[in-house]
Amino acid sequence: MSPPNGAAVRFTNITKSFPGYVAVQGINLDVQAGRFLSVVGPSGCGKSTLLNMAAGLMTPTEGTVEIFGEPLQGINRKAGYMFQQDALLPWKTVIDNILLGLVFQGVEPKLAEERARTWIHRVGLDGFADRYPHQLSGGMRKRVAMAQTWIVDPAIVFMDEPFGALDVHTRLRMESEILSLWAETNKTVMFVTHDLEEAIALSDEVVVLSAGPASRMVGRYEVGLERPRNLIDIKTNPRFVEIYGSIWRDLREEVLKSYERNEKA
Amino acid sequence: MSETKKRSRVPMAVWQVLLGATFLVTWQMGVSAGVMDKFFFSRPTDIAARVAQMFITGTIWVHLATTLLEAALSFLIGVGAGVIVGFVLARNAFLAALLDPYIRITNAMPRVVLAPIFLLWFGLGIWSKVALGVTVVFFIVFFNTFKGVREVDRVVVNNARMLGASERQLIRHVLIPSALTWIFSSLHISIGFAIIAVVVGEYLGASRGVGYMISQAEGVFDTTGVFAGMVILAGVVLLVGVGVDRMERYLLRWKPEHTDEVKGQVS
Ligand SMILES: Nc1ncnc2c1ncn2[C@@H]1O[C@H](COP(=O)(O)OP(=O)(O)O)[C@@H](O)[C@H]1O
Ligand SMILES: [Mg+2]
Repeated sequence: MSPPNGAAVRFTNITKSFPGYVAVQGINLDVQAGRFLSVVGPSGCGKSTLLNMAAGLMTPTEGTVEIFGEPLQGINRKAGYMFQQDALLPWKTVIDNILLGLVFQGVEPKLAEERARTWIHRVGLDGFADRYPHQLSGGMRKRVAMAQTWIVDPAIVFMDEPFGALDVHTRLRMESEILSLWAETNKTVMFVTHDLEEAIALSDEVVVLSAGPASRMVGRYEVGLERPRNLIDIKTNPRFVEIYGSIWRDLREEVLKSYERNEKA
Repeated sequence: MSETKKRSRVPMAVWQVLLGATFLVTWQMGVSAGVMDKFFFSRPTDIAARVAQMFITGTIWVHLATTLLEAALSFLIGVGAGVIVGFVLARNAFLAALLDPYIRITNAMPRVVLAPIFLLWFGLGIWSKVALGVTVVFFIVFFNTFKGVREVDRVVVNNARMLGASERQLIRHVLIPSALTWIFSSLHISIGFAIIAVVVGEYLGASRGVGYMISQAEGVFDTTGVFAGMVILAGVVLLVGVGVDRMERYLLRWKPEHTDEVKGQVS
């Protein structure tokens, strides 16, 4: 019954209700340290809610969240979070946004700026340090958000549909960048997406949620594709096709259910 | 697009000058021709001469300095208190709910009726005027700060918290910058109102200041003097407004098109 040690995030019997609406119900899930795990499910099933509870931004109605074996209280200090919406501070330049986490930690300004510069270079934003977010493209803003989250070196990174709004090209590049960033570290990543292909291409493990209300975990799948992965060709890999087929059989029903519910509503 | 803007901007300035000139010339000729009574309307040339004379002889400075000092004090105290109280109430739902009816009642009171009581409390010197100015500025700034802090983007706040912001850092890096847009829209209005309030205060009882000057001129039926005071006041408000615009443009330089948004909120 009790999952193996070494869970970076562990949800036990998690239920979250909003007034008049049960978002997720009875979720048991552990995210093993150092792994890349994706959560997929139809829109509105409670994926963001799940991340928010793991981040300590929301408290579960029932159940507990543990971070590296400790019950979570308040904000999750071990985690970084790339939000689904634009979350950069619009009044700060690219560099000031990136070094924000360091400022909060009290890192000396000179040092913080130096480190931010290396991150600007890393995410390919040389020459844009002094721009404001509204002067950047959507893809560039996501790069800033990425650097902002990773610069403080959190042990766990939550990402909520980070590339949903990007065009296919930019998206593929950002996905590759995330994978190479992650490969350099031993971070635990919990990645949320409604795109099953993206989930399989990036992850070690994929978790499927059912359509809301009262969304549950439908299944959990080991991806088992070797790394490093070439995201351009991965979709034709036979193992990819096979796992995609088996997950889609489960997810399909959930998507259909959520269509039906939406039509009734 | 920018071409049509340029082409239409030059003629518009010409039209605007023309309109003003027509107004002044009509006024001047109306009085000279005897259609308008010089006693009640004075004449633009006389008013201009009086303004010039006031600056040349230097009689205006003591009044102007007094009025500006009172306005500046009302403004600083009013803005400081408005921002602080706005912040505290925006961050404390209980206090905000508790004080809500009293704030509404106080704000509903016409400020001018407070002038006599302030004169009694603080005397004829500058502080009775400052007190009046503060009551005007405070509420404008308070309401805008409250709103600005309340309407800060939740996601940006959450992002800062995940990055490790303490409550203080959150205020400094997120809440204040976010509220600045609203605060600035209130500064434009409150500077004008601060000057109006102190001038009204001076008018009702003082020994110097532009309002006092106007009331003195009125007392001897010196219409030209009254108009001269009005012109000087309008000039001061305009100049100060330009200063605030500059500061706003600098502090809100991160906003895409901040000027439109801010100027639209006159309430
Ligand atoms: N703060 C909230 N108040 C009320 N309902 C909410 C709130 N946050 C989310 N919900 C509801 O919970 C459900 C799950 O939301 P969410 O986690 O954002 O879904 P997903 O990220 O999977 O698209 C949705 O039906 C949404 O309307
Ligand atoms: Mg979501």
